[in-house]
Amino acid sequence: MEKQIIVSIGREFGSGGHEIATKIAEYFNIPMYDRNILEAIADEKGIDADTLHKYDEQPKKHVISRTVRGFSNSIEQNIVEMQFDYLRRKARSGESFVVVGRCSEIVLQEHPNLVSIFVLGEPHHKTERVMRIYHLTEEEAQQKMARHDKSRKAYHNQYSKYHWGDSRNYDICINSTTLGVDKTAEYLEKFIKAKFDLD
Amino acid sequence: MLLAQIFAVAIFVVMFVLVVTEKIERQYTTLGCGLLTLVLVHGVGLRSLPAMFETLNVRSIFTVSFWYAGAAGEEASSGINWSTIIFIAGMMIMVEGMAKAGFFRWLCMNLAKLVHYKPIPLFLAFMVMSAILAMFIDSITVILFLAAVTVELAHLLRFNPIPMIISEIFCANLGGSATMCGDPPNIILGTSLGYSFADFLTNTGVLAGIALILVVIYFFLVYRKDLKQEEGFVLDPSTLPDPKESITNKKDFAFSCVIFGCAMILLITHAQTGLTVAFIGVLVSVLTLLVAGKDSWNLIKKIDYKTLLFFIGLFVVVGGLEQTGILEIIAEFIGKVSGGNLMLMVGIIIWVSAIASAFIDNIPFVATMIPVIKSLAAMEGVDLEVLSWTLAMGTDIGGSATPIGASANVVGTSVSAKSGHPISWATYCKGAAPATFIVILVSMICIFVRYC
Repeated sequence: MEKQIIVSIGREFGSGGHEIATKIAEYFNIPMYDRNILEAIADEKGIDADTLHKYDEQPKKHVISRTVRGFSNSIEQNIVEMQFDYLRRKARSGESFVVVGRCSEIVLQEHPNLVSIFVLGEPHHKTERVMRIYHLTEEEAQQKMARHDKSRKAYHNQYSKYHWGDSRNYDICINSTTLGVDKTAEYLEKFIKAKFDLD
Repeated sequence: MLLAQIFAVAIFVVMFVLVVTEKIERQYTTLGCGLLTLVLVHGVGLRSLPAMFETLNVRSIFTVSFWYAGAAGEEASSGINWSTIIFIAGMMIMVEGMAKAGFFRWLCMNLAKLVHYKPIPLFLAFMVMSAILAMFIDSITVILFLAAVTVELAHLLRFNPIPMIISEIFCANLGGSATMCGDPPNIILGTSLGYSFADFLTNTGVLAGIALILVVIYFFLVYRKDLKQEEGFVLDPSTLPDPKESITNKKDFAFSCVIFGCAMILLITHAQTGLTVAFIGVLVSVLTLLVAGKDSWNLIKKIDYKTLLFFIGLFVVVGGLEQTGILEIIAEFIGKVSGGNLMLMVGIIIWVSAIASAFIDNIPFVATMIPVIKSLAAMEGVDLEVLSWTLAMGTDIGGSATPIGASANVVGTSVSAKSGHPISWATYCKGAAPATFIVILVSMICIFVRYC
């Protein structure tokens, strides 16, 4: 792709945001970054990615963290900074990509070729989807959704003046229940093409 | 007085909570609380302009004794401890000059070469070097360079850097406890109570020396298995860095070595020469800036002014507590609990300060405790020096127990995490907390044997 496009997708757990991001990346034939950012970072540093994965998209624990001259003992904070740095480098390199979560709409907000999206969904629809994908009961699915959304929200809000999912923070917020995952992805592809004047 | 006391305690508590939670940058917290202390405690509560000026303590800078104390030692003062501020600022400039010239990396790489890049000898050598460097240079700088070099060597030599970084952090804090300029609590203690470099070296220095032998053995026993190199690893000598490459500019390097040497000599002999630490701080910084020439502005910009502002605000808030008599009440309480028994006082001070320092910043703690031990010594008729060494060991060493207890711990664990080797609380505490316990226990026993 000649023109650089960066698509940032925030999502509620179970909304299908990740699947939508995958479809958009496939449609534009560009890479998608999510948890695999940590694998790339681990490769660069010559370490095992599993060490980093458990701290991915986790909020900093304030009570047991301290910052001195810009250095923090919080592992979550250090991993966040590594991911942010990775995304900034990718954006500077001129590469087009889709990125899921990781506060990317904040980290790359100054970038002119960014389109930021937030995908939400109706609770019953998200529950059904989570039950199906993870083979859980309704109660288990709701607990899982609540746990993940709480963590994502706390993580996001530490680095942004806007709250997670606040429409003022994104180019578009879309409810995937309305059109379903496939049609939402198609709709967003058109939206992205329109924003960047792509044929 | 009661209103002033309420204001002083309330401001202090708010400051402490805000510093711990880091909701606001800590220098803004202490400066804001310092301003509130001046207005509410001194203005509204005490209605005393002289008390306000005494806390600001600016006049002290324009006295001869601030710069030249004579052989009798420096004059103690209350309120803002400008000696500490000026000394730390001066040392920051000197250390920046040394770092820019490549001094620390050169030293680390030379030591690694000396032990033939073998993990266990490297581990032992870096622990000792960390302690020795931290006696003269702030432990943050020591760990910043040592941890970075450790990670680099660990990648080259294929071993896990985490045990080494934890041990280096511990030894940096331990080395800092040995001298007056090693750790900020000691600088504050020394300048507030008029102790010399030699006073620290012959008291906390001896304790730190004994403790260093013990912790080197302890960490060796605990971590020796974790430092094994990957099986089948063969070192390729061509990948090893040449220490000389660390030197960015030979002239700057030579001058920074000379200035560092001068600083050490002046600090060791300051009780004999009468030169105060403030004077030494200014002298080494001026020399560093002269050598830096065109780059001097860059060195000035690198001063950690946030820490200096944090100190200024903190001293004002603690000054408010001191002048309203709150700290005397705490001293009375400790006196009552201990029943005038020096051993009990030592036990209380060393363990309370160690436990508190393990979780909260030890600088506000020690700044608060200095007037407390002063009152305690006066009330109970015990030797202030004994309480001072006890407080120094408790705060300096206690901070080693957790990743947030001291600045060096935060910086060391951060450098490790940034290099892809995160150190969790559990990993850190498993190694460092027992070592802290051992050192505090041994220090307490030594203090009992020597002074009580």
